[in-house]
Amino acid sequence: MSKKLAALFLAVLMAFSMTSAFAENASVTVTDMYGREITLSEPATRIVALTPSDCEILCALGCEDALVGRGKYCDYPASIQELPVVQSGAETNIEEILALNPQVVLMSDMSQTEEQANMLEENGVKVVISDANDIAGVYTAIRMIGTLMGKDAEAETLIADMQATFDEIAAKSEKSGKTVYFEVSPLQWGLWTAGSNTFMDELAALCGASNAFSDIEGWQAISEEQVIDRNPDYIVSIAGMGDTGVEEILSREGWSDVTAVKNGDVYSADSNAISRPGPRLKDAAIELYNFLNGVDAAEAPAA
Amino acid sequence: MKALSERFSGWTYALFTLTLAAILLLCVCTGSVSIPLADTLTAIWNTIWGFDIPANISRNIILNVRLPRVLNVALVGAALSLCGAAMQGLLRNPLADGSTLGVSSGASLGAVIALAFDIPLPGSPYGGTMLMAMTFAFLSLLLILSLAYVLDRSLSTNSIILIGVIFSMFASSVISLIISFSNDHVRSIAFWTMGSLSGTNYRHARILALALLVCGGILLRYARELNAFAIGEDNARHIGVNVKRVKLVILITVSVLIGVCVSISGTIGFVGLVMPHMARMATGPNHKRLLPASMFSGAIFLLLADLAARTLLSPIELSIGVVTSLVGAAAFVIIFYRTRKAR
Repeated sequence: MSKKLAALFLAVLMAFSMTSAFAENASVTVTDMYGREITLSEPATRIVALTPSDCEILCALGCEDALVGRGKYCDYPASIQELPVVQSGAETNIEEILALNPQVVLMSDMSQTEEQANMLEENGVKVVISDANDIAGVYTAIRMIGTLMGKDAEAETLIADMQATFDEIAAKSEKSGKTVYFEVSPLQWGLWTAGSNTFMDELAALCGASNAFSDIEGWQAISEEQVIDRNPDYIVSIAGMGDTGVEEILSREGWSDVTAVKNGDVYSADSNAISRPGPRLKDAAIELYNFLNGVDAAEAPAA
Repeated sequence: MKALSERFSGWTYALFTLTLAAILLLCVCTGSVSIPLADTLTAIWNTIWGFDIPANISRNIILNVRLPRVLNVALVGAALSLCGAAMQGLLRNPLADGSTLGVSSGASLGAVIALAFDIPLPGSPYGGTMLMAMTFAFLSLLLILSLAYVLDRSLSTNSIILIGVIFSMFASSVISLIISFSNDHVRSIAFWTMGSLSGTNYRHARILALALLVCGGILLRYARELNAFAIGEDNARHIGVNVKRVKLVILITVSVLIGVCVSISGTIGFVGLVMPHMARMATGPNHKRLLPASMFSGAIFLLLADLAARTLLSPIELSIGVVTSLVGAAAFVIIFYRTRKAR
């Protein structure tokens, strides 16, 4: 019964939104990445973003002013650091979010639960869910947030800009057959790498190289001897240890015969840019391309 | 029936050593990358006698990755199991082990603080974690013992266990608190707390071997006193044991050994709890036999658990803590029911 009512309500809303579209173009309807339809009487002006990537997309679309709160891991761009912080993930605090009086809460499928979404909706807050697992998914998320904010044109510009960079890199890169090993967690705490279906895997392919661990799925703990045996041509660490991390990899016992270590082709990358489904994947792609092609010769410390 | 002699005979030790050596060899020869048995043996044989190793052999994997790791695993297993056996005897409590004393959670707390606040050690980016783990293991022991001492001057086992358990809970909630405040380091902390022996090298093995030699030597010398404690503290006092002093020495020795282990391998559960019980089934309660048997069985158990963690899902590696807890819990239930039925 209530479902029917809701459907009717939705239909009326949609009809209304269509007619109003002719009149003033005020109301917006967004289909989020969970297939739910969300309608607002006007583009959103008060938003809480729980996921760092959604936050980055919002700001890239020039909507920083609409952001009234951010999840605790949202730290980019630096200018949002002044905004109120709310808990996210398993610790999400609904009261805390409601106190900021947002119209819309942006959250990701990966870290939030259905109950949290339902509770927010019951309290009159619209919930828009993002769920990007590849570059195409990031584009969908950008379009979705663009529509939500009434910034469709800006969204298309941002996507075109990202795609232009990716196209340029793909055009410049030949399939080298070289392999990259991405290190998510260093040896000290047990090696973890990023396998297939990760942005790192996708970006490596874009740059003409292949992921040394493309046979495993997602992020996994792996054996040290496997890395040595697969003998990667390049090592990219996203453990966030900077130069000391690179030195540590170069000095590992037993790794001296690995091609990447022998040639000093070990690099510490910006872990947030390369792992978040947001606009900075473009920067990560450039960073990776430069490293794989030796464009920036300043690094490569003495082993 | 012939009365059992108090100590193991030389033959029993030889048997233990042979079994351990065989398992060690098995673990060095098996791994996620398959290397022909002959290559492995050649690499080890030539290194021992100082010959050159043929270039076509994966020297690095055998000598610099597998062998040091296997040695570390054996040493950690022996140390944890020995600590468990000593604590169970001293505290007359079958549930006692390093974690009951609160020392391992203290060590974890130290390591997590080092990770969260980026405390480095000049020259080695991850040395700070190790140093902090050892320092905190020792500090928590001091804290627990002084609290117990204030509570009652005789350092009764009940107050030590109680304060140890409470301290463990306190330390884990402080860890959770630190995690919720340190956004940047959540991942490294999460990876560290899972416990791992991957990446351990000969330097770690030397530290562990030294700690085991010193601390193990002390504990084995106190086997007679532990036997007296196992019957009761009053009994120990009556036969002339300086109860307070012996207790202090054993507790400090155990905490040093546990601190070293945790700083190298993270927290690995169940070895210290279960292996002494299994050893006790074979040797009986006499600590002169139980302590060495616990060391050997702990080493063998952890070697096999690590072998499973390394090879079952290759190239993916399981957390060793997952394997020990799964196998350990099942083994514990079986032993518990068997011994209860036998009574």
